[in-house]
Amino acid sequence: MRVGLFVTCLVDLMRPRIGFAAIRLLESAGCEVVVPATQTCCGQPGYNSGEQTSAKALARKLIGEFDGCEYVVVPSGSCAGMIRVHYPALFKDDPTMIDAVNRLSSRTYELADFLANVAKLKHIPGRFSGSLTYHDSCSGLRELGVQAQPRALLSKMPGVSITEMREATTCCGFGGTFSVKFGEISAAMADKKCQHIAQTGADAVVAGDLGCLLNIEGRLRRRGDVHTRVLHIAEVLAGDEREG
Amino acid sequence: MQVTAMHFKRKAAENLHNEKLQRALERLQSKFVDSRAAANAELPNFEEIRNAAAEIRRKVTENLDRYLLRFEQEATARGAVVHWAETPDDANRIVADIARQYGLRKAVKSKSMVSEECALNDHLASEGVEVLETDLGEYILQLAKEPPSHIVAPVVHKSKEDISDLFEKKHHRTRTTQIAELCREAREILRPGFLAAELGISGGNFIIAETGSVLIVTNEGNGRLTTTLPRVHVAITGIEKVVPTLEDVTTLLRLLPRAATGQSITNYVSVLTGTKGQKETDGAERFHIILLDNGRSRLLGTELQPMLRCIRCGACMNHCPVYQNVGGHAYGWVYPGPMGSVLTPAFVGLANALDLPHASTFCGECAVVCPVKIPLPDLMRHLRTRQMEQRLRPWTERAALGVWSWMARRPAVYAVGARIIARLLQLLAGDKKRLRYLIGVSGWTKGRDLPAPAGRTFRDLYKSGKSS
Amino acid sequence: MSARENILARIAQARNPRVEVDVDNEIRRHARGPIPPLEKDLVKRFCEQAARLASDVVSVATTSDVPGLVARYLNERRLPLKAVCWPSMASLDWRAAGIEVEPRAARGDDLVGITGTFLGIAETGTLMLLSGPTTPATVSLLPETHVAVVEKQQIVATMEDAWDRLRAEHRVLPRAVNFVSGPSRTADIEQTVTLGAHGPYRVLIIVVDGQVSGQ
Repeated sequence: MRVGLFVTCLVDLMRPRIGFAAIRLLESAGCEVVVPATQTCCGQPGYNSGEQTSAKALARKLIGEFDGCEYVVVPSGSCAGMIRVHYPALFKDDPTMIDAVNRLSSRTYELADFLANVAKLKHIPGRFSGSLTYHDSCSGLRELGVQAQPRALLSKMPGVSITEMREATTCCGFGGTFSVKFGEISAAMADKKCQHIAQTGADAVVAGDLGCLLNIEGRLRRRGDVHTRVLHIAEVLAGDEREG
Repeated sequence: MQVTAMHFKRKAAENLHNEKLQRALERLQSKFVDSRAAANAELPNFEEIRNAAAEIRRKVTENLDRYLLRFEQEATARGAVVHWAETPDDANRIVADIARQYGLRKAVKSKSMVSEECALNDHLASEGVEVLETDLGEYILQLAKEPPSHIVAPVVHKSKEDISDLFEKKHHRTRTTQIAELCREAREILRPGFLAAELGISGGNFIIAETGSVLIVTNEGNGRLTTTLPRVHVAITGIEKVVPTLEDVTTLLRLLPRAATGQSITNYVSVLTGTKGQKETDGAERFHIILLDNGRSRLLGTELQPMLRCIRCGACMNHCPVYQNVGGHAYGWVYPGPMGSVLTPAFVGLANALDLPHASTFCGECAVVCPVKIPLPDLMRHLRTRQMEQRLRPWTERAALGVWSWMARRPAVYAVGARIIARLLQLLAGDKKRLRYLIGVSGWTKGRDLPAPAGRTFRDLYKSGKSS
Repeated sequence: MSARENILARIAQARNPRVEVDVDNEIRRHARGPIPPLEKDLVKRFCEQAARLASDVVSVATTSDVPGLVARYLNERRLPLKAVCWPSMASLDWRAAGIEVEPRAARGDDLVGITGTFLGIAETGTLMLLSGPTTPATVSLLPETHVAVVEKQQIVATMEDAWDRLRAEHRVLPRAVNFVSGPSRTADIEQTVTLGAHGPYRVLIIVVDGQVSGQ
């Protein structure tokens, strides 16, 4: 399977090891991984801010970049959701684009969903040992149905014990620019998430979206919690144990 | 009701620090969220029913005039008088005229959010008509001179101690904080009002085209008393509330109470058609029905049309994490939460409620729980787009987005920019590997640290042959 | 142009011309939506659901058992043996049970109201009451105690069935169709459900089904 990896702007900027972990996982599942060099942003920030023109321009660019790939895999439910669900909506009235858009969106997957359901990864390379709790990122969950897949993959790891937090599916408060524009509300939502995480006593909180993870980690540390690890599912599954 | 939606941010911030409100909002989880889930689980074919309900409401919005005309025809044939009001002023004037026409000075009222849109009570008071709210929550608000903070549970923001203080002050009876006693007290105080009232004012949860009926759901019995005892009944509701048949309303009734309060059915469902029969001993002699537009018809044919499916259950706000944290008053008008973030700008003007469509992470839970499948996040996004098109956003916001998308379309420039930012943030964070403050994003750093980036971008690392 | 004309014009102008709908035909057909599956024993379902919604539900064999049962119920709760009722209930032997019953509309000071029902709806344990000259609405609404007598054959499965029955037996809807599902209640104060708001505090439903319940 020839898989194009869309690393996402957040991973590129803030935590490249997630991108490398994704590559390791896809390769261990037998995929050939290509990383189109000119990729930047899926267009979601503009799209959600009501700026449709730039969103369409970035969508066109991405569609062109990933043209030759059998699948497009994204270590983010929010960006994968943008491509899979919102690109068709963006171009629904554009007959010249709609075919290309639908072709792309139908072969775009969030990472854990792809590994579980398409690549059917059997052996997990990671060595994580300890208890973890999983936060369901909103787009992945509600736009793409990502919920069972990450848990199924994690439970294949012998050293992992999963404890469910209360309200795992409640939004952590990130919401892209919301986290800055409505920072106080966002921090209050993050705080509630951190309380639920703390109640589990887990060693780590894991999610499929770096935006959520930065938000959660930021609030955990400000609350004085320096011990709970905050990890992307790719990092846990791929065995990258290094602290950032 | 007065619009204060432009103060959302400030009021939200105040409410975040209001300990009493925060404790009250905690009740939303068990009382509304959990109970709705349990109630829906009792319906083995819930999804099928939901699809049917959404379809009924969708079909109505597509042909609103046809159903309204049929409703008017049937209602009139049964002796009701149907009035059409374009604006709140029209509606208020019609009610005042009715009161004058029949010499009515004492009114009882069961809950109507549409009447809140109109500030009907204030207008009637200025015309010499005394209006007594009879829904317990609305009565409490009338005493406290406060607006509702939720469309189904109007005083969700108040504690029993608040209510106890209020009753003590206004009723001059022994203070009690026992909820059952407070309810008994309200019953005793309000009962004479029901018996003495000449005019009963109600809302209408639905109006039924097939029979020309107005349907009201309540739990307290005040809806029945309001529409049974006084000699004139005025029902006021929005034009979008029409439903084709009795069967259709039955489908909707399977979902409305479950979505709202987790009940399989509200205690009372009243279907009211026409006026008191010749030999009947109770019921209104005159039945006036006011259909209010107030901007609803202008949503038709636009991207906001799906909003008119709304059956006012309140599930969206109950499940909205933003509402759960800031409460209803922050939204600054009649309708809070996700549905308010769409209706308020739509009805009172985009420029008067700029923050509301943006006060959302688009988590999507509102759309998941909406019994009639309104795509609320899409509607909020549409309003954000309209704000952009009308240049209502701050120039700094438009500029930042402009810069971002300009760079993102130019990979070489983007690569350099990202490289610089990654390195800069890493250096600023130092050993701690996180920043406690960063210029330009104080909204983030006021309440959270910003974890530092790795220092080199994925692009650069990948290009240089690294594998981690 | 009147408000009515303006509103209708705006709606018509916004309507999608490609969408056709035959409103009259649709209403004539009044098709049902999806109905949840229900158990076959409708009386059992009705009793269980009504009890769940905080009515007191008792079965008796025949209507002649009703006055005695009501007297026991009122005595247990130390309520006066005095009631108003629908005329249709007046012919039961209340005197023998020691209850003073007047067939009239209720006033503010009446404490017990006794009614029959048009139908009982098993799905939700709901009483369907129709307004009319012989079924004054106040009897089930003003007093603190409402006693409702339902016969087994009056219990239907769903509200859809109820509408069909109503259409068959009445030419038009009465002024008020009231669906009653238990004592009045409110949860406005701290979302705590409290029974007894403006309507009755307690509802006794007597199901006449040819059997005697355990009570």
